[in-house]
Amino acid sequence: MLQDYRNPWLYRGMWVYLLLLVGALLLPVFYTIYISFNEHGFGAQIYDFTWDWYRVMLGNTQIIDSLRWTLGLGAATVAIAVPMGLIAAKHYKRTRHKLVLVTLMLAPLFVPADILGSALLVYFKNLNRACNWLADTLGLEWIRTWFELGFGTALVGQVLWTVPYAFIVILITMSRYHAQQTEAARSCGATGWQAFWRVEFPQIRVGVASASAFVFILSFNEYTRTNLLKGGFDTFTTVLISHMFNTGMSEDSYAMAGTVSVISMLVVGGVLVWSLARVERLEREARAAATPLGSA
Amino acid sequence: MSGNSELAVETLELGRRYGRVTALEGVNLRVTKGSYFVLLGPSGGGKTTLLRLIGGLVRPSAGRVRLHGRDVTDLPANERPTTMVFQSYALFPHMSVARNVGFGLALRRVAKREVRERVDRMLDLVGLTGYQERMPHELSGGQQQRVQLARSLVLDRDVLLLDEPLAALDEKLRKEMCFELKRIQEQVGITFIHVTHNQEEAMTVADRIAIIASGRLIEEGSSREIYEHPARRFTAEFIGETKIFEGTVEAADGARARVDIGIGVIEVGNRDANVRVRDAVSISIRSELLELLAPDETASAAMQSVPATYEKTIYLGLTSSHRVRLPDGAEVGVRRFSGARGTARIEPGAQVRLAWHMEDARLHTS
Ligand SMILES: Nc1ncnc2c1ncn2[C@@H]1O[C@H](COP(=O)(O)OP(=O)(O)OP(=O)(O)O)[C@@H](O)[C@H]1O
Ligand SMILES: [Mg+2]
Repeated sequence: MLQDYRNPWLYRGMWVYLLLLVGALLLPVFYTIYISFNEHGFGAQIYDFTWDWYRVMLGNTQIIDSLRWTLGLGAATVAIAVPMGLIAAKHYKRTRHKLVLVTLMLAPLFVPADILGSALLVYFKNLNRACNWLADTLGLEWIRTWFELGFGTALVGQVLWTVPYAFIVILITMSRYHAQQTEAARSCGATGWQAFWRVEFPQIRVGVASASAFVFILSFNEYTRTNLLKGGFDTFTTVLISHMFNTGMSEDSYAMAGTVSVISMLVVGGVLVWSLARVERLEREARAAATPLGSA
Repeated sequence: MSGNSELAVETLELGRRYGRVTALEGVNLRVTKGSYFVLLGPSGGGKTTLLRLIGGLVRPSAGRVRLHGRDVTDLPANERPTTMVFQSYALFPHMSVARNVGFGLALRRVAKREVRERVDRMLDLVGLTGYQERMPHELSGGQQQRVQLARSLVLDRDVLLLDEPLAALDEKLRKEMCFELKRIQEQVGITFIHVTHNQEEAMTVADRIAIIASGRLIEEGSSREIYEHPARRFTAEFIGETKIFEGTVEAADGARARVDIGIGVIEVGNRDANVRVRDAVSISIRSELLELLAPDETASAAMQSVPATYEKTIYLGLTSSHRVRLPDGAEVGVRRFSGARGTARIEPGAQVRLAWHMEDARLHTS
């Protein structure tokens, strides 16, 4: 594509523009991080570097608790949404009704967060009432708490919303895979599972890893659905936002915001670099294959 | 139920449909143990489908498959005594050559040392000694196909299925690999079933050839039978360059038939076809068996001929095609070795006769 920018200044200009744009978009984030290291907090005239706000944050048991819940929820969401996305992507390759499948899979993306969240909330409340009724009338005590708001319901909300992303990311990697290799593996004696695990999976691993990182970050940063469905516990973002609503931004809120942003950017950036490096390697290999070494 | 155990593969009324498309129908194929069998036919004819049905990669919608007398119709690929070589993209790109070849053995938990030895032996057989640590993308197309071959052969299965294994190679390499495949098959002695739409490739490797077209098994025989004595008109048309006349039988006995082909009446042998008066028939003659008689020559008694107008000669290297036009407008090519002596120069537009020996013409009813 380089030859399209025959004017080198135009090409450089594009880069400057891109960097400025990204910079402008990320400026508030960096500013937040910057403030979080100032001993005097937001709006102060002087800037004295300090780790104190992070120390305060780490000393706050509520925050640490919420961090634990956040990580747990993220891990559980990844553990469920990514395999679901993988299965859906595999099914997509096989089915003849591709349009129906894609529409169904992507539908949760088109529902606004607060609507999806409150719809689920109503749904769980009704289920909860039904379970309570069953528990009371039939004496099925063990189902009483099935749909009480809590970790489980928040997890459902997050999975519902993140599966489409996992599906798309994995599907994109899968399109590079030649199904013939599965057949070759089968005719070498591999069972369906062995063919998947030993031949297909190693080749779509990048997609699965990216999907996991993506889903984790989505879950980590999510507020609306979690807040509606969480019941008794708190996550990092719900704590942060309730802080902001109740007491305004305090210095340790900046430290929290800084932590969230840094973790997100590290995970996303890390996966991006890793998968780009891998894609580049694959392309190098493809080029090498196109110009074989030596003849047969 | 057990069938003939002299047969490596036997299919019974085998068929496969994809929705409304019938990919294959009513195929009864019999492949003798240890033979090199070729499935030849035009694109979309159903060759791949048949091969995949034998290998257990697709389920038939009708019929049964038997391998060595055992009914395997309901077994998946990994439980059949078959293994397969694909056209391309079938090597595992994340594994070295050695791991590719050893893949099936590793699945069977064969000891590492033995895997290494057997892999080495197979690479030796296919002429790739020393390539163990290369990755698939570091190999040429021909080498990749050899690795696939080794990966299949190392499993010691009874039947090797090859789906257009040479189609991605250039002409010269393909010829080389044909001889190589034949040599390897003779050496290992297992049954090879090889799909191709390339006639020359088929003739080079095959003990027997089956013609597959429009989802059906058209005809089966040795290379020579298929080429020289095709029973079906389709085969005659598909193999080599052939002139087909259509006509109606005027008179027939057990030995000969007289057929009206519109531009004349010709005689043809009737021993195999056994046609009767008023049957609609076709007559095929291969282009290298046709002759051009200059205006001043006359046909000998044993020859049949029709009038034609000479148009031009197309030089094709080894052979040349002399083009003539028949009174009904059809164009016919007569093949001769380009350097052959005694080809008289004929002026374009000259009235000539297109002639052939009666026994070189084949009579077909279907
Ligand atoms: N998975 C499929 N879904 C639908 N139709 C199919 C499928 N596989 C094959 N067919 C159809 O079945 C017919 C036979 O296909 P097949 O691949 O067996 O032909 P072939 O002889 O191998 O052709 P080629 O020489 O081009 O490889 C074709 O009409 C094809 O369109
Ligand atoms: Mg095919």
